[in-house]
Amino acid sequence: MTSHSKTNRVRRCRPLLGTFVELSATGLEATSLARAVGAAFGRIEKVQRLMSVHDPESELSRVNAEAFFRPVRVSAETFEVLQRGLELACDSAGAFDFTVAPLLARWGLLPASLRRHGPGDWGDIQLLARRRVRFTKPLAIDLGGIAKGFAVDAAIETLRDADVSSALVNAGGDLRVFGSPAAAINLRHPIHRDLLPRTMRLGDAALATSSPCFTECRWQRLPVSHLVNPLQQRAVTGGISVTVRASECWLADALTKVVLNDPALAECLLTKHGAEAFVFTA
Amino acid sequence: MRTTIHWIALPAVAVGVACPAWAVTYLSIEQAQQAIFPQARLQKIGVQLTPDQRKAIEKSSGVKVRAIKFDVWKVEGGGWFLVDEVVGKHEFITFALGLNPDGSVKQIEVMDYRENYGGEVRRPEWRAQFAGKKPGSKLKLDEDIKSISGATLSCRHLTEGVKRLLATYDIALKDK
Repeated sequence: MTSHSKTNRVRRCRPLLGTFVELSATGLEATSLARAVGAAFGRIEKVQRLMSVHDPESELSRVNAEAFFRPVRVSAETFEVLQRGLELACDSAGAFDFTVAPLLARWGLLPASLRRHGPGDWGDIQLLARRRVRFTKPLAIDLGGIAKGFAVDAAIETLRDADVSSALVNAGGDLRVFGSPAAAINLRHPIHRDLLPRTMRLGDAALATSSPCFTECRWQRLPVSHLVNPLQQRAVTGGISVTVRASECWLADALTKVVLNDPALAECLLTKHGAEAFVFTA
Repeated sequence: MRTTIHWIALPAVAVGVACPAWAVTYLSIEQAQQAIFPQARLQKIGVQLTPDQRKAIEKSSGVKVRAIKFDVWKVEGGGWFLVDEVVGKHEFITFALGLNPDGSVKQIEVMDYRENYGGEVRRPEWRAQFAGKKPGSKLKLDEDIKSISGATLSCRHLTEGVKRLLATYDIALKDK
């Protein structure tokens, strides 16, 4: 009965989360497989709808606009991402911090509505009962460093719950693999993209990459990028790319920022989470 | 203690393994139609834009129109199925756009994705010199390597292509 179902394979790609999201899965009868893949894309679309910093209608945009004035009730998904992000911000002593949006807005990399004046960081976010969020300083949050990984995890969970035998979700390089056989992943060099610096096998694990190489630009003659070192309030620039392997993609995604911003501390955190990092330099 | 951070400096270009052009075909036109409009009947219609329509589409979308003659599909019971291509600095993408009866986006599917870095990797003889010489070069990309990680690819060009198709619908298809 199962011999023919193994050969079923679906591989799809949609533009989501500002990048290309590729989703492949095997191991169900064709109609169920197509339905499972559709549902997995649906989960990613929902994360985008809730947590996009570019969409003025998103839940995150409402939090950014109102949470300093009154507690804002959010969805279970957004609350979960905030909880995990704050925990990692605490563990990394601020090397991971999603309150850097005002700086990115000042550089023109995020909407001007996210500009804020005065200091404030992750420590000024309060998570209250009944999934409510409050800022004690005028902050703006960008979940870009964690939500993409979270969306990949949500898609993988949907596929796993649908009983597919293997799956791969790749959101522009932030990816997670489930089932067997292990997938071959090509880690690409950020600058010399025609080279294959490393190929690895990945089974039931996630990979995420952060690099300033593709978004580096100039602001008032200073080099800036979409990656901010919150400890120095400066952009991460230069020919560097960090890839982290971890059990879940949100964690891999967020840990790339810790490795970029505080490599010494990152060693401890990577060990704590059973993760490892690959740092490519020019 | 096991090292958790591996520092990898760039190898000299000469010893690097060339990454052949990355190309994936996800869906044929028929498969894309099935994926967006399961079980629906679609009717193919040939479209030729007038110079005025072309100008209006470019003005409304802010994107250049590449083809003035193309096919579209009308979905029985309402809706449209459109196919277009976008070209970026390194990538060439064919995609399908499904529209609801009211003209809103129902679904977007990438049908074909091709990218290329460095012109020399296109030349088969240049690629062949690496065959079997390095562990990585033995991998047949389409079958063995499942994915590439390394950098976020922007879907900006595709977003522009979608804008162009929405304007095309508005100006040339809506009343058909």
